[in-house]
Amino acid sequence: MLEKTVTITSDPGVHLRAAAIFVKEASRFKSDVWVMKDDIEVNGKSILGLVSLVAERGSSLRIRVKGEDEAQALETLIDLVRNKFYEE
Amino acid sequence: MISFGTSSTRSEINSGMEVSRSAMIRGVPASPGIAIGKAHVLELEDLQVKEKQLEQKDLEREVDRFKTALGTARNEIETLRDTIEEELGRDQAKVFDAHLMILDDVVAIDKTTSLIREERKNAAFAYRKTLSEIADELDLAKDEHFRNSAADVRDVKRRVIRHLLDQPRKGLGTIAGQVILVAHDLTPSEAVSLSKETILGFATDSGGRTSHSAIMARSRGIPAVVGLKSVTARVVSGDTVVVDGNRGLVDVNPSEQALQEYGRRRQQFLDFEGRLLDMRELAAVTTDGHRIELSANIELPEEVELALAKGAGGVGLYRTEFFYMRSTKLPGEEEQYEAYKRVADKCYPYPVIIRTVDVGGDKFASYLGTARENNPFLGWRGIRFSLERTEIFKIQLRAIFRAAATGNVKLMFPMVSSLDELRQANTICKEVKDELRQRNVHFGENCEVGIMAETPASVMIADSLAREADFFSIGTNDLIQYTLAVDRGNEKIAYLYDPLHPAILKSIRTLVEAGHRNDIWVGVCGEMCGERVGAVILLGLGLDEFSTSPYLLPEIKTVVRSISYAEAKEIADKALCLSTAAEIRGFVEEKIAGKFPQIPSP
Repeated sequence: MLEKTVTITSDPGVHLRAAAIFVKEASRFKSDVWVMKDDIEVNGKSILGLVSLVAERGSSLRIRVKGEDEAQALETLIDLVRNKFYEE
Repeated sequence: MISFGTSSTRSEINSGMEVSRSAMIRGVPASPGIAIGKAHVLELEDLQVKEKQLEQKDLEREVDRFKTALGTARNEIETLRDTIEEELGRDQAKVFDAHLMILDDVVAIDKTTSLIREERKNAAFAYRKTLSEIADELDLAKDEHFRNSAADVRDVKRRVIRHLLDQPRKGLGTIAGQVILVAHDLTPSEAVSLSKETILGFATDSGGRTSHSAIMARSRGIPAVVGLKSVTARVVSGDTVVVDGNRGLVDVNPSEQALQEYGRRRQQFLDFEGRLLDMRELAAVTTDGHRIELSANIELPEEVELALAKGAGGVGLYRTEFFYMRSTKLPGEEEQYEAYKRVADKCYPYPVIIRTVDVGGDKFASYLGTARENNPFLGWRGIRFSLERTEIFKIQLRAIFRAAATGNVKLMFPMVSSLDELRQANTICKEVKDELRQRNVHFGENCEVGIMAETPASVMIADSLAREADFFSIGTNDLIQYTLAVDRGNEKIAYLYDPLHPAILKSIRTLVEAGHRNDIWVGVCGEMCGERVGAVILLGLGLDEFSTSPYLLPEIKTVVRSISYAEAKEIADKALCLSTAAEIRGFVEEKIAGKFPQIPSP
């Protein structure tokens, strides 16, 4: 299992549209993905779980990944958050 | 600027017992036209979901029913998405991709099925419980984007529950006859299913000119007023309601006499619309041959078609804030270039004047670093923002100059209050052009660069600005607000906001004279030229161009074509000798009384 913490720099944070992008990416991997904010951890492949974190700009997320492709999954997802979800 | 309705709470209304429930509510005009009819109030949550305890033997069947409902909902959403994509483009359709993901959410499905299997609950109750918890949580978020997500979650929830209850979609699908739709807000899927056949007009508590439902109403020609704040509290189904999408008013249970008057105005509007086609190709020229440019203000690239259909001879103000406000990330050069180019191509050979971004004031996006200020209209906005955030400014300038290769694009800067600002901005323009040249990128070398004249300072130094700008476009809305020191959004003093105040007319004359002395053209973009008294005075003051809302163009064109320039000049000269706004209005109205019989009265 791998995990890493990342700070959200995009505005307004992980709202519905950003969550949709995250889930789409996360679902490409076989590994399980978990996202934690404060003390709440949700399934990283659940759009409703992600938005319910109300992760606004400035909050930090801990992303935890477990499975055969965990290294690549973690890197991809951290990049995604750092690059503000590549929102066009 | 937009004026919002007076708000009153539900309890105030209900405590009034049966006093005659008439009301005139002011909101945001979202789509033009007048609609008169019986109200159909769309209840917020009209699905009765009962909690049931199922028999063990029925559980698997209930899970199957749930999965089937999800599948049916999926088909519906996909159809909606494709319709929207075709009608309004990919971007507007994206929200339905998110709806599909909510539908497929593994956690929500697991939780619902386990409520069915383990606690023997019915599927409708289980799914409602699962999604409501999340929506309720989102309601509490500080950020508007998260709160908006709650509406999306509820939209999906209702759709699935409707199928589980086998209740055909209440709301829009089953509306019988023709009604005025009254709702707190319309979900994206409701907005898509608005049909002119059943919905004569609609009125909503929330929303603005660029909200989904407003865009849809305009594209389908349904009169609408949004942002009414309290319309659902003041109207019950069956009330007679008038939606005046031209003025942004909703009249609830008007008197018989008022109703007849609305009926007459509605007919006038329709007749007038019918005559538009004849007017469209005609120039805005006075009876003695003086010609002005009549162009449209637009906000969205799609609005250019509407503007041309209404007879615009170009776009006099293309506001670009939309790019910056709708997204949470900076709009890129390509994205902007494509939009500008599209508008320029559609308008060719008519001119398109693109205003560089005017964020700040009442428009701010936190990702740009703009924030709520104590005095936003005197704060970090317009050109002040662009000159500090030059990296953002340059991206926009590159996109504009590239689009200007078509030859009909001009650009202007908002909120200029000193010559230094104009010089700095012009220097940056030069740098951008040099870069483009070095990179061998095709662009419009001769793109005219003007300023919005909208601060009292720009009036005072009009001569020096006119020597270094290619044109002036007078932004009357802000000029009035700054010159008269009146915040139009403040209801207590809104009556002081008067375009005919002598100070405003004198300022405009100063700007026109300074411009013409320096051989540049002077236009006006703002609501003042969209109203007949204002239009006659502005014509007489010698303005070269009028730019206003597309919907007002036919009327203004009629005004210009019905009067002589000599007459308008005489009216303007005399008006400028009067000392109060009331005197000026009275004088001009008397002069033009009966002159434009073909125009519906306001």
